[in-house]
Amino acid sequence: MARRRPRLTRRELGLAAATALFGASGPAFAFGEDGAFHARQLLTGTRAPDRRRRSAGARWALEVVNRTSSPARLAPSTVRADGPALLAEPFAVWSGARAPEPLTERETLWLRRYLGMGGILLVDDEEPNEGAFVKGAKEQLARVLPDGSPISIGDENVVFRSFYLLRRATGRVQKDAKLEAVVRGGMTQIIFSPNDLLGALAREPGGGHPFEATPGGEAQREQAVRLAVNIAMYVLCSNYKDDQVHAPFLMRRRGSESP
Amino acid sequence: MTESLAFSGDLSQRSVVAALVVAALAVALLVFEVVARRADGPARVRVVGSGALAVLLLVVAVLRPVKVFERATTVGARLVVLADTSRSVDLPSDRAETRREVAERALASIRTRFRDVRLRMSTFGRGAPAPLAGTLADAPPELSSDLFAALESVARDTDEAPQAVIVLSDGRLERPVDDAIESSVRAALGRLEVPVHTVSLASRELADAAIRSVRLAGSIVAHQPAKLEVEVACTGGLACSDVPVVVRELHLDTPPVERAGGVVAVSDGRGRAALEVTLDRAGRRILEVSLSPPSGDTIAENDRRYVTVDVARDRVRLLHVAGRPTYDVRSLRTWLKSDASVDVVAFFILRTRSDDVAAPQDELALIPFPVDELFTKHLSSFDAVVLQDFDAEPYGLSIHLRRLADYVRQGGGLIMVGGPNAFVSGNYAQTPLADVLPVTLRGITPENAVDPAAFTPGLTRVGRRAPVLESVLSLLAERWPEMPGTNVVGDAREGATVLLEHPRRTTASGAPMPVLALGETGSGRTIALTLDGSHLLQFSSFAAESSGRAHGAFWDAMLGWLMRDPRFEPAVLELPSGCVAGTATTARLRAMFGEPGAEADVTIERMGTGAKVKDVHAVFGDRDGLIELPLGVLEAGGYTATVRLGVQGRAAPSRHDFACEVGGDEWADPRPDPNRLAAIAKATKGRAVTPEGIAELPLPQATHVVAERRLKPFVPPWLWTLLAACALGGHWVLRRRAGLA
Repeated sequence: MARRRPRLTRRELGLAAATALFGASGPAFAFGEDGAFHARQLLTGTRAPDRRRRSAGARWALEVVNRTSSPARLAPSTVRADGPALLAEPFAVWSGARAPEPLTERETLWLRRYLGMGGILLVDDEEPNEGAFVKGAKEQLARVLPDGSPISIGDENVVFRSFYLLRRATGRVQKDAKLEAVVRGGMTQIIFSPNDLLGALAREPGGGHPFEATPGGEAQREQAVRLAVNIAMYVLCSNYKDDQVHAPFLMRRRGSESP
Repeated sequence: MTESLAFSGDLSQRSVVAALVVAALAVALLVFEVVARRADGPARVRVVGSGALAVLLLVVAVLRPVKVFERATTVGARLVVLADTSRSVDLPSDRAETRREVAERALASIRTRFRDVRLRMSTFGRGAPAPLAGTLADAPPELSSDLFAALESVARDTDEAPQAVIVLSDGRLERPVDDAIESSVRAALGRLEVPVHTVSLASRELADAAIRSVRLAGSIVAHQPAKLEVEVACTGGLACSDVPVVVRELHLDTPPVERAGGVVAVSDGRGRAALEVTLDRAGRRILEVSLSPPSGDTIAENDRRYVTVDVARDRVRLLHVAGRPTYDVRSLRTWLKSDASVDVVAFFILRTRSDDVAAPQDELALIPFPVDELFTKHLSSFDAVVLQDFDAEPYGLSIHLRRLADYVRQGGGLIMVGGPNAFVSGNYAQTPLADVLPVTLRGITPENAVDPAAFTPGLTRVGRRAPVLESVLSLLAERWPEMPGTNVVGDAREGATVLLEHPRRTTASGAPMPVLALGETGSGRTIALTLDGSHLLQFSSFAAESSGRAHGAFWDAMLGWLMRDPRFEPAVLELPSGCVAGTATTARLRAMFGEPGAEADVTIERMGTGAKVKDVHAVFGDRDGLIELPLGVLEAGGYTATVRLGVQGRAAPSRHDFACEVGGDEWADPRPDPNRLAAIAKATKGRAVTPEGIAELPLPQATHVVAERRLKPFVPPWLWTLLAACALGGHWVLRRRAGLA
């Protein structure tokens, strides 16, 4: 007997992606989709998100659904930093081209609470050549987490092997092969991407790319997609791949303990 | 009524003697004075005579002599008889009768010999002696023989002290021990200095091979080998050399599993072997240790011992298998990893066959899911398995579901967490695993296997009171977040506990559909959670109210209940007097919400077969959460008592394993020990005899008991005083006339 799987078909995914590209979003989620990966766009201050990168979240979700077993929200939403909605889910993306406006007291408070509960934040710079957004975001987040200083993370970090084995970080550009992150309690909580990851993911309604990936072209874009998938899997599985590496050793040790 | 005289009616004997001595000294001094002053003859006589009279009257005035009228009787001496009713007196004696029967005969002889003596018959075993009502055959056997405690109790008794104690025993006593008999008996009796006579009920050693003792070298920790020291003894001239010994672990409804075996080399009647035992399941476990006896063995019951061991857990070893990464998986994993007492081995399906990873294998950080290895070779090494939103079919788990069900029945824990690939959607219906889940999956088709409608789970009446939800409810104030749909399941199985239910959906029977159910299967426990939204307790606007702590509290309790953490057990069953096979056993049930009127159902099942032995229904009375339960007469073996507390709904089960033995330690060494009885008698200047020698025991002297005593003074006390004053005055006048000062 054929059994209908609750997973969405490719056609359904395509329709959903198209819907997302046109900015619609639905708050109701079917059983099994509530825990799906959701790249929420974090809004602070008065600035609106870049219109051309608005499709990046949907593309990111589509890539996660196509490449992995994980469900993802194909119509990502935005969330403001100054309200309880921030605490609804454990992931958000904060991006911008210029230095962010100083966080209000309320934004600082809610972001602190969000991170205190274990939320993960990706900070993506839309203008890597200037680097003003990441620099400014670090300053603002230092107010949120005074004890959290960013450190450089490379392929030794689980983010670089949570699904794909990656050697370097990339995005629309290749400014830095490494990422920076605030690590608390052994968990990477804030990831700073200096390479405009969302720029690499963004799509035009017609299917083209609004931004060229330089200098590596489409191969570089593919690496950016893989990094995005890895970040999604890290958000969903945390350091699972650290375990996985050790699982055979655990098994062997367990075997030696048993008669 | 008898009449007699007494120097004084109220002064003690010592005071009377002191007064007389003082008087005699006074007269002697007077004589000395008169002689020294050389008074003339008649004056000397007058002075001494008047002085002696004055002293005499003075003494009489002080003592005030009385006439004593008494009504008294002579009663027989008081004698305490302590009859051993420990299990060892049910062993054969020297003839074709048991030691208990010999003791019964000895009691009759004592009654005859001491017919004029007031006998207080008691039995001893554990603690203070109990009055003997009826015959010894009616006295319940005890799994202990503590004569020290019995003597101590006799000595402390505030009643009339006995003049002797007679002990009837086979000498196989727990206390006093061999190397300090004299000091122990003296310490037990304290200030009661009476002879303890002993009557030996047997003296002949039986030809027998027995497991003398089973000891654990240290504690047992799950998954770690432990040494079990088994001592075998052969007595009564039974030829023993190499005795095979086997250790098996009992399970409820599956055959015992052999855990160790070996051969004990017996030399000079004794031998020891250290067997290495590894137990996988934490909690209370019953081990059966048995030997293969040589021919000529008299007592078969002591060839098999049941040992109750509490298996501690170093860390909870948990296998977490998830069908796809979601926030629910993330939350559970984060909590499991944050608990240092949990050792997690996790396998998440990150990619399905239909996923297009757009990369060669060597660019992926993925490994094949080692389902066969996990569920065959390593399964027993885990304390619990969590199947979260995991489809059994595409990943090859289906062929291992019978093994997984057996793993649960043998004591493993299982949690099935909901999601689009769980329960019926996960291809678990009509599989062996479905039989061990606390909910049924019958009659649910894949088309209606999930209900996507959001709902808020409702607490059942049991759920509100269950210790397992207590901490999470305190954080949530009994409110649950809205859940995005549920797996559809059937009724809770018989004996399962439903803690959360669907507010609208019902099962085929019309009952609210279970959302969170706990169940017992064989020796293991299972949990069914039809939700995939428990992460909302950890990270959501709702969770923020409790800072996400409710998620940890929820899973801590779930895992704790699965691992039989006493904090989450709704009831505790104890056997205060142990369990002696073949005799009535009483259990004590302590419940966390055993308010008056609450009901309890206790099911006793035989381990190994799972056969139901007895159902006991009881209602809690006035005693707060405490109730005595008669379990009836049980045979030797391991048992599981499942307690279900009725709280207007399905019962909350709690499981307690225990073992019944015919003889226990009491039969481990069946040899009588008349020498020890002789030593006890010698230490107290008593006599050691056999039942035939009871006539030789000395009769204690009868006791004189005064029933009425009345005093009558010769003259009123004031008259003695007046006469003494006059005599002293006369003496003074005569002294002056004789020239004495």
